[in-house]
Amino acid sequence: MFKLLIKYIKPYWWQAILLVVAVTAQVYCTLSLPAFMASIINEGIVAGNHDAIWRSGIFMLLLAAASAVGALVSSYLATYIGANFSKDLRRDIFTKVLNFNLSDSDKFSVASLITRTTNDVNQVQQTAIMILNMMLRAPLFCIISLIRAFQTAPEMSWIIAVAVAGTLGSIILIMSLVIPKFKIFQKLLDKITLITRENLTGLRVIRAFNNEKIEKEKFEKTNQELTKTIIFVDRIIELQNPLINIIFNGTALLCIAVGTSLLTKDVAFLGNMTAFSEYVTQFMISILMLSILFIMLPRASVSAHRINDVLKNPNHFNWKKSTVGVPSIVPSVEFKDVIFSYNGASDAVLSNISFKAEAGKTTAFIGSTGSGKSTLINLIPRFYEASSGEILVNGINVKDFEKDDLMKRIGFVPQRGALFSGTIKSNISFGAPNATMKEIEKAAEISESAEFIKKLADGYNHHIAEGGTNVSGGQKQRLSIARAICKNPEIYIFDDSFSALDMKTDKKLRAGLKPITKNSVVLIVAQRINTIKDADQIVVLDQGKVVDTGTHLELLKNCKVYNEIVKSQYSDAEYAAELKEANA
Amino acid sequence: MRKKGVAKLFLRSIKPFGFWIIFAVVLAIGSAVLGLFTPKILGEMTDIAKDSFATGLDWDALGMKITIVIILFTSSSILNYFQAYILGVVTAKYTKSLRKQILEKITRLPISYFDNHQFGDTLSCMTNDIDIIATSMSQEIADVSLSLTTLIGVMVIMLTISIPLSIVTFIVVPLSVFVVAKIAKFAQKYFKKQQATLAVLNSKIEESYSNQIIIKSNSYEKTALADFDKTNKELATTSRKAQFFASLAFPVTHIFTNLGYVAVCILGGYLVIERRISLGNLQAFIGYVSRFNRPITEVASTTSTIQSLLAASERIFNFLNADEEEPDPENNRMIEEVKGAVVFDHIKFSYDKKHTVIKDFSANILPGQKVAIVGPTGAGKTTIINLLMRFYEPDSGSITIDDVPINEMTRADVRTMFGMVLQDTWLFSGSIEDNLRYGNQQASLNEIEEAAKISNIHHTIKALPKGYESTISENSDNISAGEKQLLTIARAIVANPSMIILDEATSNVDTRTEQLIQAAFDKITKGRTSFIIAHRLSTIRNADLILVMKDGDIVEQGTHDALLKKNGFYAELYNSQFTEE
Repeated sequence: MFKLLIKYIKPYWWQAILLVVAVTAQVYCTLSLPAFMASIINEGIVAGNHDAIWRSGIFMLLLAAASAVGALVSSYLATYIGANFSKDLRRDIFTKVLNFNLSDSDKFSVASLITRTTNDVNQVQQTAIMILNMMLRAPLFCIISLIRAFQTAPEMSWIIAVAVAGTLGSIILIMSLVIPKFKIFQKLLDKITLITRENLTGLRVIRAFNNEKIEKEKFEKTNQELTKTIIFVDRIIELQNPLINIIFNGTALLCIAVGTSLLTKDVAFLGNMTAFSEYVTQFMISILMLSILFIMLPRASVSAHRINDVLKNPNHFNWKKSTVGVPSIVPSVEFKDVIFSYNGASDAVLSNISFKAEAGKTTAFIGSTGSGKSTLINLIPRFYEASSGEILVNGINVKDFEKDDLMKRIGFVPQRGALFSGTIKSNISFGAPNATMKEIEKAAEISESAEFIKKLADGYNHHIAEGGTNVSGGQKQRLSIARAICKNPEIYIFDDSFSALDMKTDKKLRAGLKPITKNSVVLIVAQRINTIKDADQIVVLDQGKVVDTGTHLELLKNCKVYNEIVKSQYSDAEYAAELKEANA
Repeated sequence: MRKKGVAKLFLRSIKPFGFWIIFAVVLAIGSAVLGLFTPKILGEMTDIAKDSFATGLDWDALGMKITIVIILFTSSSILNYFQAYILGVVTAKYTKSLRKQILEKITRLPISYFDNHQFGDTLSCMTNDIDIIATSMSQEIADVSLSLTTLIGVMVIMLTISIPLSIVTFIVVPLSVFVVAKIAKFAQKYFKKQQATLAVLNSKIEESYSNQIIIKSNSYEKTALADFDKTNKELATTSRKAQFFASLAFPVTHIFTNLGYVAVCILGGYLVIERRISLGNLQAFIGYVSRFNRPITEVASTTSTIQSLLAASERIFNFLNADEEEPDPENNRMIEEVKGAVVFDHIKFSYDKKHTVIKDFSANILPGQKVAIVGPTGAGKTTIINLLMRFYEPDSGSITIDDVPINEMTRADVRTMFGMVLQDTWLFSGSIEDNLRYGNQQASLNEIEEAAKISNIHHTIKALPKGYESTISENSDNISAGEKQLLTIARAIVANPSMIILDEATSNVDTRTEQLIQAAFDKITKGRTSFIIAHRLSTIRNADLILVMKDGDIVEQGTHDALLKKNGFYAELYNSQFTEE
């Protein structure tokens, strides 16, 4: 927590120093007031001197004004540093996450990364501002009021020790009784939430089994326990205010009683006695503030930890500053003995993958769920890093590419069509910001989206909501494909992108792609046999291994796994016909 | 609901605790009154001390005062403690009853309620809103009565000490409260702006994080970062302003407190010299000035706390007052021995009374038949199941089981006839054994193991370190999705229903588990009338009756071969949709 604070406050060091100065000035001025008050009593009232009252009074006014200025300046600086602190922190997390590879994102989960960038930063910011405000002020108040108290009435300083011992003692006693119960309390509260959530998510199951009564009883048991714990905690924690009240009043009483007995020796002590009692009160209030701070800190430090986990996550690989070597003009993708396993897992997801995909040809990947076909193509743009082996794009190892140089060659269409808030136009030209309207329209045409775009009132300027929620799943998928086409890439990668389309659109779209992909490498991951039947090369995967490679007919003849897949998708008659053709 | 109405409802709902609340308020007032006199007596002690130069210290008088003060502040603190304790218990019991009412309400609401309301809202009633009520209720009742008593008491005592000093205080201190309130209003404006900017930034973060693949493959990082930076900077500016104005409250009160303090010191000094008041009284007055400050700010902040209390109550009462399911008929009928003949007779249904989902559906299912319901996603296949289980009621038409209309039976009796295995494999956190016993609390361990064996999950359970005692938690990764489905099948078997409803999984299940699920499905449907939302070819081919749904209606029905021969929608569907693995 503190390391994080120091690191991010550092750029604003001179504002921070100014803040310390302002706070010190403010505290000093405020705490000088009782001293002048003492001199009003001693030199003015007791001596009956009007001028002395005025003199001290004017000093007090000046001090009050100075303390006000100090308070204003320190407030401004604390909020300035606090706001910039969280701005910088948020930016660093965002940049870090943008450069994560997918295995890092998987590790944290996207939802958790979002919370860390938003809620956790807010939590830390709140604490940072509080620390800047109170962490400085409270100890300063403590120290200065302590010194002042000593100066005004050294004979009475033992009272401070008694008061502090009483305050801290009662706080510690109460907390030590209550904190273990707090943990139980939190657990029971979690359980209440859990049962409620189960009752909501299991709505149908609970009713189907007529178990409403059992659920009610289960809930009531926890509810009862929770209430008992709350009442117990309440009984103890409510002691705090009355106890503190007794200690404060007792201290004031002690000051006067002890002061009076000392007064007989020196009449000028009357003012000091009053001032002393003020200082002790100030001191004890500061101690209370500090103890609150120490209760609140652990909460923020949980958030700080979660942020640090992201910031300190090691970079698994770096991109080259510029591409090493000259990539061939003829596009190609080649895998040589590639092995891949997820972060530290012992089981390989892909093992010994080798194949070559050439320009102007379509290479398809098929296999059951869990066969690793999606993972395989994710290795090409280095979303994941191969554990060993080589992946060559245009004859150059992907590790030797500069990032943007590699990405501009690839048109990647993910499984789930995802759009960004903006317009249809901005979504299609997402990867090619300089695309002309003509190119955008052509991409829409080929991806079979032109028709539905034309029907929209705003056409290409139609607004797309965040997450593309205002277009249908199929439309989203087609626009994702348009986005890749508009980039005019050398390598097309379709990660199961056709399954959201109906058969007719699927077919038309693939026909439309043919002419524009004449000089490109096309890689398709698919579930449907019909989608990949015409591919020049089909790679059959099973449990992370290449089982066989060939055309549809070749595989029908030779590959057992491929036959099983075909059999499961075709009726017996169709399968028989296919088989006959293969063997002809 | 109007604010006044909510307040009335709230007051009515805490009525059972009325006596204790009033008792606590009396204690609070008593505690405040007892606490009022301490500064005054402390001041008198100072006077005794001051006079001691002339007449010598009067120890008896001083001792007397000390005793009185100790008695006063101790008894004030004790009353305060009991007041807080009583209110704490009242709040705990009140929130307990609210929690109970909310959960019971969940079990009584029709399922359709949750089509229009998010789970998060209900959950938030149970957690956040109750939390708001718990913190504000116990605090506010005590604070308001304490503050008001102190405020009035302090004013009276101040006036008795010195009218001129009181006038100075009455001008300066409320002024600070007024200025703080003005500033807070100003800050509110920036807080709203900050909240709006934060929302924009959050959605940008969410968009970038969830679409990393697209951003990376299109080299969009720089643009995304520039876009983020713009909003991030804007947020820093508005949040700085909001926080600054909010933090002004402290220094501003501080300034006014100090000003008041100085003014009282100067003016008081004169009055003492002119012997209009005693030094002890001045000291006491200074003590009262600081006590005068706090209740004003507290009363001022009460309005916003009460507003949030009422807002939370409103959400809870709205939930508790939502329409419930129609009660079961009084002269309900029962089926002694279920054969399993299900007849749908001209069913018409809509979820929202506007868009008809099922126009006119009739089907006659014979005992023991296996019915497959097929259709594209979103065709409303689950609607049939919802009507059959009486999660919803049809707008017109009737469903009968063994010639008894289901709306003439109790919901519980209808539901007991069916065993349900859904795609959403809901299990509660608890042991596997308890989960399997969920449909039949009397089942012996033997019966449970038998059911687990039938559903091919027995060996997996036995392989777990604790066997049937193993706990399942929300995110348990010791059990896969497929295994969870097997557990729900076993759970249905333990309940031994007369009929079965199955929703086949399309989720990622490895091939071996898939075969196990398939085998378990086959066993459980044998000899029972069963309804299956089907995704697998083998299930569909073996069905006695296929109901083909499209756009929320049944367009065709028959056996696989008959439907293929018809060459209609089913044939089209079969050739595209079902040619997946």
